[in-house]
Amino acid sequence: MTKPIIEVKDLAKNFGDNQVLKNISEQVNPGQVIVVIGPSGGGKSTFLRCLNLLETPTSGEVDFDGQDLTTLDTKKVNTLREQMGMVFQNFNLFPNMTVLENIKLAPMKVKGVSDADATKRAHELLQQVNLDDHADAFPTSLSGGQAQRVAIARALAMDPKVMLFDEPTSALDPEMVGEVLNVMQDLAQQGMTMVVVTHEMGFAKSVADRVWFMADGYIQENNTPEEFFSNPQTERAQDFLSKILM
Amino acid sequence: MKNKLIMAIALVMALVAGWTTTTTTAQAATDDSLAKVQKKGTLVMGTSPDYPPYEFQATVHGKSQVVGMDVAVGKKIAKDMGVKLVVKSMSFDSLLVALQTGKVDMVISGMNPTPARRKNVDFTHTYYQGGYSIVINKNDKGIYKDKNSFVGKTIGAQTGSTMYNESKKQTTGTTVKGMTSVSDLILGLQSHKLQGVAMEKPSAQAYVANNKELAMIPSKFDLSASDTSASVAFAKGSTALVTAANKSVDQIRKQNLVNKDYLPAAGKYLKTNTVNTSMLHYWKAFLKGIEYTLIITVCSVFFGFILGVLLSLARMAKGGVFATALRWLATAYVEFIRGTPMMVQVMFVYFGLGLIVNLPALTSGIIAISLNSGAYIAEYIRGGINSVDKGQTEAARSLGMTSGYTLRYVVLPQAIKNIWPSLGNEFITLIKDSSIVSIIGVSELIFQSNIVRSDTYRGVAPIAVIMVLYFIMTFTASRILNHFERKMQHD
Repeated sequence: MTKPIIEVKDLAKNFGDNQVLKNISEQVNPGQVIVVIGPSGGGKSTFLRCLNLLETPTSGEVDFDGQDLTTLDTKKVNTLREQMGMVFQNFNLFPNMTVLENIKLAPMKVKGVSDADATKRAHELLQQVNLDDHADAFPTSLSGGQAQRVAIARALAMDPKVMLFDEPTSALDPEMVGEVLNVMQDLAQQGMTMVVVTHEMGFAKSVADRVWFMADGYIQENNTPEEFFSNPQTERAQDFLSKILM
Repeated sequence: MKNKLIMAIALVMALVAGWTTTTTTAQAATDDSLAKVQKKGTLVMGTSPDYPPYEFQATVHGKSQVVGMDVAVGKKIAKDMGVKLVVKSMSFDSLLVALQTGKVDMVISGMNPTPARRKNVDFTHTYYQGGYSIVINKNDKGIYKDKNSFVGKTIGAQTGSTMYNESKKQTTGTTVKGMTSVSDLILGLQSHKLQGVAMEKPSAQAYVANNKELAMIPSKFDLSASDTSASVAFAKGSTALVTAANKSVDQIRKQNLVNKDYLPAAGKYLKTNTVNTSMLHYWKAFLKGIEYTLIITVCSVFFGFILGVLLSLARMAKGGVFATALRWLATAYVEFIRGTPMMVQVMFVYFGLGLIVNLPALTSGIIAISLNSGAYIAEYIRGGINSVDKGQTEAARSLGMTSGYTLRYVVLPQAIKNIWPSLGNEFITLIKDSSIVSIIGVSELIFQSNIVRSDTYRGVAPIAVIMVLYFIMTFTASRILNHFERKMQHD
């Protein structure tokens, strides 16, 4: 049996009195694509942000590559974060830098990669997301779809073992959703381990290895996409699916 | 009396530092003041050079320097002690504080040994016995006869001077207006804001001799000898220095040196002085002023910015007890600096810190203004950092960047772009506010213009010149800042 790359044990997170995550235990194996779906406010984003410690869990463990992140000091956490790329709903590109500089910054400052090597790698990644002709553009001149593809390239530049996607297409105009999902699908086919929070059911159906249905702070159902969409086990999931599918 | 201000400052320093009194008593116990001066080989004389013929700036061999009968007295005293005289200029109000804090060894500035001053410093015997006159506009001659003619009118006198107090005491129905420098008073007279200016007789003579539109009348003040005499001041308890200086002073009195040699010599400078009063002739003085103004501004903005970054980070520190203490300290600092006048801060750094380390005036000025500016810049930066979207930090941290790198490469550049107009405003304000250090004798633009004014007896022209110079500097600075602002625009 393969060793899981991410293993969450009894994870809980409170914001004040508000218990957002209640006792979650799941694992992600290398190469798997997990799609987390569920109603808004169900704790999906908070869960994802706990995986790379952007949110500090209130209790429980987040094991990455066999190490419990919650027990590590800041320096080690930084090192492990390098290996978990994250893509945000609002892209969060650095507006004061060009596309190329956005991609090169972390490899050069964190890993000490030379300017030449970082530039070369950045161009490769931009080709991969079909944006090499925008290398010298500033983020504000890009469309949402382009910006999100740059954000993916930026995360990939650190050669992560896992990619976390936090509603990557929610802020996009509908006609731009496709170009971003295509890039993500390519990535999945190349064997990248991915945890994707999304409302794109089509993507979940066609790309996911497992679907985690999350609501009320719990992972209510962990299933294959075929099973989940045709034969949801929990009433909560049935209810959710009945509302979004015709 | 200037003693009010001096005592207020001394009180503050005593409260904060607590050693003012102890040092003085320590000095009194073992007086090695003379030995100390002789060991360092220089006698530093503090004076306020806007009071011809006592002391004033004159161009000698193309170089501006302080001359006058008081300087001659100082030279004699130094010579008799076998040391070299160094003249340090500062505003009259600052002189006694400078003496008490060891910035100068003695003060010769036409100063009357009043009982109030005697409480704080020691005086020598009198080296000159003067009297008071009132300077008026020549056109008004015949209207005013003496101090009693100014009922319902305004007369002016140097703030903190004996004349000022006596004018208040000995006139009825007359408004007495105080200004720091005599050149300002003369300007007030010529622009008819004042109808008369009370000053010492030799000064009055000098002004009248050099300005055809002025005339002088006797003051008829009822004065005791100590009110009209001039003495040399030394730090309290420096008996050895006073004794040595008294020997020189007695000689000066006995041989009538002031009237025979010193005053005529001073008069000569006054004459050469007024030959060429065109502002162009003084371009070097103005250039020096610009140089110092820019040095102070640029250094203060630089150090102020560094301090501002540190303070803003301290104010945003999160975590344990240490972070809380840091946050509290930084907040207290910012509030305190913003709540006290920069002028007081400048004087405090120069005179107050001077008790511990002897900092030159320029350094003190830069330190004080940096400390002040840092508090303001900290608030701008804090606002700027808060204005950067939280997602920027998260994106950087998710890439494995440390909080330090995130701040340096991602957050601060954006914060600075956002607050650039405010920072630019601070820079331009500093160009103008740096003028405050003129009170501790740094030769920046305002200080230089005062020198030119007392040098040329022209009140308005130097002010007009520096106004234009300030505008050129601030306008150039704002163009440069705009250029960088445009460069930072990517949207």
